[in-house]
Amino acid sequence: MSGFIKKLFGALIQKPWEESQVKVDNFHSGQTFSTLSPQMSAVIVMFGVSTVLFSLILTGYLYSVPSDQDTMFLLKTKLLWINTFVLFFVAYVFRKITKDLKNNKILKLKKNLVQVGALSYLFLFGQIFFWFHLMDSGKFVATNSYFTSFYFFTALHGLHLLGGLLFWGKVCSSTLKLENDKILSQKKNIEALSLYWTFLLVVWIIFFLIIYVFNDAVIAWCKSLIS
Amino acid sequence: MSDDLNIKKTSSIKTKSSSVSGGGTDIDYVRPAELPEQDLYHGHSFITKWIFCQDAKVIGIQYTLTAVFTGVVGLILSWMMRMQLGFPELFPFLTAESYYQMVTMHGMIMVVYLLTALFLGGFGNYLIPLMVGARDMVFPYVNMISFWMFFVAVVVLMASFFVPGGPTGSGWTLYPPQAILEGTPGSGYGILLMLISLSLFVIGFTMGGLNYVITILQARTRGMTLMRMPLTIWGIFTATVLALLAFPALLVSSIMMTLDKVLGTSFFMPTIIKAGEMLSYDGGSPILFQHLFWFFGHPEVYIVALPAFGIVSDLLSVHARKNIFGYRMMVWAIVGIGALSFFVWAHHMYVSGMNPWFGFFFASTTLIIAVPTALKVYNWILTLWRGNIRLTTVMLFCLGFIVTFVNGGITGIFLGNVIVDVPLSDTYFVIAHFHMVMGIAPLMVIFGAIYHWFPLITGRFLDETLGKWHFWVTFLGAYSIYFPMHYLGFIGVPRRYFEMYDSPYMTSAVGMNEFISVAAFIVGAAQFIFFYNLVKSIRLGKPAGKNPWKANSLEWLTPQVPPEHGNWGEKLPVVHRWAYDFNVPGAKKDYITQTTPPSEVIEAEVEKT
Repeated sequence: MSGFIKKLFGALIQKPWEESQVKVDNFHSGQTFSTLSPQMSAVIVMFGVSTVLFSLILTGYLYSVPSDQDTMFLLKTKLLWINTFVLFFVAYVFRKITKDLKNNKILKLKKNLVQVGALSYLFLFGQIFFWFHLMDSGKFVATNSYFTSFYFFTALHGLHLLGGLLFWGKVCSSTLKLENDKILSQKKNIEALSLYWTFLLVVWIIFFLIIYVFNDAVIAWCKSLIS
Repeated sequence: MSDDLNIKKTSSIKTKSSSVSGGGTDIDYVRPAELPEQDLYHGHSFITKWIFCQDAKVIGIQYTLTAVFTGVVGLILSWMMRMQLGFPELFPFLTAESYYQMVTMHGMIMVVYLLTALFLGGFGNYLIPLMVGARDMVFPYVNMISFWMFFVAVVVLMASFFVPGGPTGSGWTLYPPQAILEGTPGSGYGILLMLISLSLFVIGFTMGGLNYVITILQARTRGMTLMRMPLTIWGIFTATVLALLAFPALLVSSIMMTLDKVLGTSFFMPTIIKAGEMLSYDGGSPILFQHLFWFFGHPEVYIVALPAFGIVSDLLSVHARKNIFGYRMMVWAIVGIGALSFFVWAHHMYVSGMNPWFGFFFASTTLIIAVPTALKVYNWILTLWRGNIRLTTVMLFCLGFIVTFVNGGITGIFLGNVIVDVPLSDTYFVIAHFHMVMGIAPLMVIFGAIYHWFPLITGRFLDETLGKWHFWVTFLGAYSIYFPMHYLGFIGVPRRYFEMYDSPYMTSAVGMNEFISVAAFIVGAAQFIFFYNLVKSIRLGKPAGKNPWKANSLEWLTPQVPPEHGNWGEKLPVVHRWAYDFNVPGAKKDYITQTTPPSEVIEAEVEKT
């Protein structure tokens, strides 16, 4: 992180007109971060945008959560734990894919890449199933601000995941078609994909902890702030 | 990392600079090209070449034309508003409802769909690849989608004029709860289409912004360090970062309000009793919307201003034949203003009420942001000082920008103070302030930039005589409109009023309102001189040739003018210096382009700045 900040802000003190700086500058490759591919850079920028987006939603939730929330149904079910586990498992598979890439195990890599998609769809269907379950119990999006926030956040997270699945579909279809020795041309895309899923997991865990696992404590804290 | 190059290694690198630069001695050697060339999709049919095109330059022009179209709609709306304010009840179709709808649509169109789209989508797309020495944006396909999302957003917005109830009339800030409740014009389909359009705009912009940022950071040509980039690129880069971080707030609030309207959620809706009946809303917070809106809204001011700052710096430098004064300070100021712009949003909410300590905090940050802004103004003036100033239309618009920006900026310092803001907040003083600083000043830069880069885009100059007429009528006319509005604000004339009826303002302000309206009609009409000039000069303008302004930056150094898709022919340019080497002592010409190798200007002496 400090290297990143130094890289970004250290440049600001350069004096491009000075002869000594000219010599250094003439050898510059033109890339600010030479180890990052454009795909990886794009995922990092999307991190920034999504972080702001989800932070604002959480801030909105914490700002407006009323004192008497009915969260009982949500707390009874275990399905969200299963979904969370599925997302963790995706992260584990991506770790295997990184190893496969390193060790040139192409067949395994292809299998694992397909597995990532299947598990991600499983998570998505799990979330939708949970929504139906929730609606069957009479908890709709307009019931109260707790459920409104829950539906809203899970919908956006699901859309975020769908966006990733589009990217995955493109990468996966071209990777599966490639010959073994050419698979490395997809390396940058696969690495970017892996980073994207890590971010999806992190966002979900933060949300899961705040609105589900430590839900009562968070609401109590919000109440204390309001009072 | 590429910046960490050890200078001792340089002697071992034996690659000569590419064709654009000449030279032949050791001092011209540059780092070898390490990255493969970008694969570009070249369109062959009319549709792939001009409509669904992936060339950033064509996309830039598409953005510009669409944004200008919305701007003309905004201009016509402002004429109608001034018609009502200057000559009330002259036209029966100008009702209170339609007036508020015009106010709302005018504000949103001008701020978001004209200025933001034009600076970032228009100039950003056209100039970024050219100025950093890239062949195109890094993700051309995504860039194309970005434009079409914007286009659909504009279509959805314009559709709201034709739906039952018309467009929303809730004011451009779209404050709930009134924006979505009956009684407000356009509270049905109008507000929905506005919110959908804004959401599409943000999604589309995010795709474009991703391209701008990554192209600038990762796809510059060899030798183009961050601190060798023209200030135009610094302005667009920082503004894009701001937009990427601020627009999510607009997206979130738009989606939340859409859900409040359609599904009956209560994000922003408190308990409301309407005609004795309790509505289903409960527990929401209208203030939350205000926070979200202004968390986007204030950085939005700088999303428009920073590209304008960057562009005007480059135009001043070229047309005064002098290096920009204090380049590093200018970069720091752009970055500093960008960072500070996220800590001032609640100065738009003083009248909403807040803890006095928050008022103190936001007033302080607002005043602090004036420091780097003032620094830029001083540096522009010092750039002009003892420069070889050419009073071209471009220069006139730049000077017009400095004057209007200083004027609008100073009144902003007034309004940044809570005790001054509270009595002035709902008056015409605010209208005068933000139109000066955020309307006229950036428009001056846009016009200056179009006069400057038109020869690059078309290969021909715009007509200078028509340009000067355009400038003087616009500049003096704009002053005639907005200067008197400060006075109207001081005497307490409230903004947002459809008509003053029998209030005391009828006698004291009526003449001035008529004068302002007539000036507004003239200034609006003067823009058609500009449009005529554009259309005429595309075919009949004086041929400009290569680099007609004798500028240094890369966009003027392409093998073909106008540049073709891919920009640079066979080889990418190599950069040897910054873009501000004008009138360097010892140099034979009064400018040294960025691609000129040291061996060609061996006599030139480096100047401090």
